[in-house]
Amino acid sequence: MNIVVCVKQVPDTATERKLRSDDKTLDREAADGVVNELDEYAVEEALKLKEAHGGEVTVLTMGPGKATETIRKVLAMGADKAVHLSDDALHGSDALSTSYAMAQALKKIGFDLVVLGSESTDARTGVLAAMLAERLGVPQLTLANKVEVNGSAIAVQRLTDYGYDKVEASLPAVVSVVEKINEPRYPSFKGIMAAKKKPVETLGVADAEISADQVGLANAWSEVVDFAVAPPRAAGTVVKDEGDGGAKIAEFLASKKFV
Amino acid sequence: MKFILDAEQRLFGETLDKILTEADTPSVIRGWAAGVHEPGLALWRSLAETGVLALAVPESAGGAGPLPVELVTAFHELGRHAVPGPYAETVAVATLLDRLGDELERGSEWLEGIAEGRVVASLALPTLPALPAPAQASAPYALDADAADLVLLVDGDALRAAAAGEVRASLDPARRLPSVVAGDVLAAGPSVAAAARVACDMGVLATAAQLVGVGRRLLEVSVDYAKARQQFGRPIGEFQAVKHHLADALVGLEYARPLVHGAAVSYGSPDFGRDVSAAKVAASEAAYAAAKIALQVHGAIGYTDEYDPSLWIRKARALHSAWGSPAAHRARVISSLAGA
Repeated sequence: MNIVVCVKQVPDTATERKLRSDDKTLDREAADGVVNELDEYAVEEALKLKEAHGGEVTVLTMGPGKATETIRKVLAMGADKAVHLSDDALHGSDALSTSYAMAQALKKIGFDLVVLGSESTDARTGVLAAMLAERLGVPQLTLANKVEVNGSAIAVQRLTDYGYDKVEASLPAVVSVVEKINEPRYPSFKGIMAAKKKPVETLGVADAEISADQVGLANAWSEVVDFAVAPPRAAGTVVKDEGDGGAKIAEFLASKKFV
Repeated sequence: MKFILDAEQRLFGETLDKILTEADTPSVIRGWAAGVHEPGLALWRSLAETGVLALAVPESAGGAGPLPVELVTAFHELGRHAVPGPYAETVAVATLLDRLGDELERGSEWLEGIAEGRVVASLALPTLPALPAPAQASAPYALDADAADLVLLVDGDALRAAAAGEVRASLDPARRLPSVVAGDVLAAGPSVAAAARVACDMGVLATAAQLVGVGRRLLEVSVDYAKARQQFGRPIGEFQAVKHHLADALVGLEYARPLVHGAAVSYGSPDFGRDVSAAKVAASEAAYAAAKIALQVHGAIGYTDEYDPSLWIRKARALHSAWGSPAAHRARVISSLAGA
């Protein structure tokens, strides 16, 4: 099975994240780049599927030159090869144009299954899996907390607020996974050393047959008009227990859908 | 000579940091100190899975080494997280077994076990054979031998099997110190003496790296504490006397680190032993100084057993003289310079 796992390099959530004042895009130089944490679950699931069904796992990332660090880490975890979609023309692409560019790259790479995380911790749109499936004309099985492949059939449990849906489709397909699905592995020393020798193909806009007039900041359908620093977190609500403390806690938890 | 870690070495270090952060080492350390070894051994196995112990084992026996630079990277993280267990001792045993090769009947079997994390080893060196004669005195203990699968004793130029004896009190309760009961001679002769010298140097190098990591963590928690702890209406870190102390700790550690890396790079050269000793002197003194400063910056709470920094403070003091005190290693640097 030819599995492509899409990963994104994002600024470390533990550090202060900034937007650039000039073009209002993410300042990728201001923070350390790390693998989007939610993508690590996608990588783990892709590796597990490969171990169970054979085939190979290709990492696909779109990002500046610095994103090679992310590629190396995923290769160290066990992916076989990587495709790095990198071009200045892609800078500032919104979700729609990113999905277009990624779809073009995926058509070029070829795939039976595309696996993604549920969202990126920087943009947090969570729409890429659906958009990719639409653009590629294949079924989308999103927010999976369990994936089963049987021949050319694929079934997932889609996590919902009330339990889960059973979703079935046939390959090729696009799957996105939630963090409950597995425990991502750590790269081992041997994996890290082996990753040095694994092939990484860099594709520019022209290589992936992407029309430059459909990507980048100038062609984005959505625009960041203005932004401001988030206000400091307000003090929490203090509930005084007058015999009804338990009920108030339950009420709060229910309002947040925890219970 | 290149002292900067490459991307792979950094990724390996970061991976270990993540694993150890998740492992909640303080509870593992307290368990180990009380003789509850299982959580510590489980951590041992998961570290072995990432390849930490394979770094000391040659490729012919299923390892990836010997890779001193990567070992130093790993031991720095082991120190930063104060991981309990005879890691440096196992590295020394692996070096010894590798050097003795076919002279030992079960040598390659043990090496494979070490690489895979199945064999936890300890070593008693009643004298430190790598040091000049007057500085060789050591303690006749095998660290954490009560948790080890393989305990060896270097007795002059004889290598003996050994068993853990009575556990003695230790400066760092998470470094358990059983005496050893000597068993059969496994090998003897000048080859044992030569192998023991290199094994000793590897143990010293690993310990020096661990010390820098211990010191680093003590500095990190002290800086955090100085930013959070308020006195006279402001964080204590705003007072120069506190700032200068912390800066001194940082300078000491930053001077020790390149010596540790430099010693790792000189593995295999005639200067390896001297460089290892120089690294141990600097790392011992820097980590111990960091521990004293950490204790002072934390004030009275730093003395409490329940507060986690105590686990690192005690380790710094114990490692300061483990595998040879700064004075012993300084004697070797001096004799090697005098002889040159």
